[in-house]
Amino acid sequence: MQPPAEHVHWMFATGFLVLGLCLLAEAIVGPEVWGKRRWRAYLWPGFAFVMGVFMWPVMVFFTNSTIHTLAHGAWAQVMMLAGGAELGLVRGKLRRPLWRLCVALAFLVSGAAFLIHEQNGWYFQRSAFLHHLIGWLMVGAAIFPLGRALRRRSLVFESGFALTFVVLAVCLYCDRDLAPVFGHLSPLAGTPHR
Amino acid sequence: MRRVIVAAGLAALAFPGNAFAHASLEHTWPSFRQRVQTAPASVRLNFDQAVTVLPGSVTVYRAGGTVVSGAARSGADKHFVVTPVRKLPKGPYTVRWHVLSGDGHVVSGVFTFGVRYPAPPPTDAYGASGPTRTEHVVRWAYFLALALLVGGMGFRLLIVPGPLPRRAERRFFAVTGIGAVAVLEVGIAAFLLRAEDALQLPFGRLLYGDLSPIVGGTRFGEAFIAMTLGFALVAALLYLAWLTDRTILLWPAFLLGLGFASGLSLSGHSAADAGSSWLSELADWIHLSAATLWMGGLVQLVVVVWPAAPDLRRAAFLRFSRLASVLVACLVGAGIYLSVLRLPQLSDLWTQGYGHVLLVKLGLVCVALSWGAVHHFVARPALERGDGGILTRLPRSLAGESTVAMAVLLAAAVLVDSKPPPQRPTKPPTAQRIVRAP
Repeated sequence: MQPPAEHVHWMFATGFLVLGLCLLAEAIVGPEVWGKRRWRAYLWPGFAFVMGVFMWPVMVFFTNSTIHTLAHGAWAQVMMLAGGAELGLVRGKLRRPLWRLCVALAFLVSGAAFLIHEQNGWYFQRSAFLHHLIGWLMVGAAIFPLGRALRRRSLVFESGFALTFVVLAVCLYCDRDLAPVFGHLSPLAGTPHR
Repeated sequence: MRRVIVAAGLAALAFPGNAFAHASLEHTWPSFRQRVQTAPASVRLNFDQAVTVLPGSVTVYRAGGTVVSGAARSGADKHFVVTPVRKLPKGPYTVRWHVLSGDGHVVSGVFTFGVRYPAPPPTDAYGASGPTRTEHVVRWAYFLALALLVGGMGFRLLIVPGPLPRRAERRFFAVTGIGAVAVLEVGIAAFLLRAEDALQLPFGRLLYGDLSPIVGGTRFGEAFIAMTLGFALVAALLYLAWLTDRTILLWPAFLLGLGFASGLSLSGHSAADAGSSWLSELADWIHLSAATLWMGGLVQLVVVVWPAAPDLRRAAFLRFSRLASVLVACLVGAGIYLSVLRLPQLSDLWTQGYGHVLLVKLGLVCVALSWGAVHHFVARPALERGDGGILTRLPRSLAGESTVAMAVLLAAAVLVDSKPPPQRPTKPPTAQRIVRAP
């Protein structure tokens, strides 16, 4: 008994929304105020790591072709890597600032995986449109974690990084298995059943 | 020129296709591995999108390879493909299909069913050629990864449970971390290789191959699901142990790792072949666990303790030597039981291919055991007497023993992928005379 794929998208959307809001709060109030409570520093990297762990069941239960398996496996691994590297930096177990580039790498890999695994065109149906949109969003937004790694405390990079997750969450909330986009649905996709 | 190439690349990603569907198989009649009592007159496939039928889109084979299907055609609804079949006698059947989906990709798949007969798993479908050399190497890599991960954690918990010098601790987590990543990656590679063989597709078409009958319809697929999830959890626990400096977290990781390694035993010869029982599954798991702990412990001695924790060398070697005796006893005991089970006749050792591989493995095991015996009966008493000179000679010797152990694992990988000889039928029980009571 598996939930529909769109419910899984919504669950991950909630995770990304929480993650984005935490980062946005930190960007607004500044790291000094945010860091008054030590546990807050662990919040978003911890969320990212746990979401990576939860992506593994999605990989094994929701994949019907090799390309889907590989894409979901890539997301699971890069989320764990990015969250894990940031947690290591916060905890002081990792010291080299280059570890911050793991998040930028995760964005690039995730975006590429979205673009490669979606074989349909933009306007085929809503999920196809969103996959393209998210793919390009992640590839383009990789500039934010990259900038964040090189220029700490830049409000632009910090807020851009946070807002990327909020937009990602909105895109995932919009996802439905079989639904039109801007009133368009390819006749090949079938008829919406809900 | 460079700008044109970049622009073309971006355009290719932005507009991936003209017409736009990637079909997935939703239902089939008969369904995956269904055992039907009445032979069907046709095989029907239902896709989630409209598809185009190609020449030979659906072929139904008998066990021997005879084609029993006619030409496939689209149904009135283009989501359906229907293939008439001859009158099917009792037996197993393989259905291989490929259709053109709207995006121009050919999607493919395989499934099996049986007419008054149990359907084989898709990995044993007609046309599947069985494990290849690449699969032997991948399985070997999987064993090595398990040894690094599970054996490494076992060594840390059972042999050097106290605090380690910082450098040694870093090395321990590096080695086990590599093992954790490798278990997950190699596991995925092994699964895809098996799927490639079952589907009989080149890699380009395998990307769009339907994996669902293999994931849900075979022991191998179920083991893949359980082991992937289990080892993802193990990796997370290992990471948390490193992050928080809490060795206690290694215990659940170690026990879960040992437990989920049983997926190999529950999906291999010991579970699926004739004569298998819970006892053979248990023996296989003990065999695998003991080998993993032995090999992983040797690697930890060579890579972690010797170079990074000199003060612990003597104590670690002596404790590991004691544990190794128990592991070797388990390894040999379980191995003998499994060999007798799979090769009931002694002559099978030199007359069967499986027996040949087993002989090679036994030879290597003998070398490894002799090497271990030298450590146990020569190096250990010398260390107990306080002979410090032996410590300088031991690392090379331990590295040698590890290398032989790796060779044993390679032979084990080939053995696991080989087919044991069929079991000879046992004599039917003689009819007992029933003596009626007066």
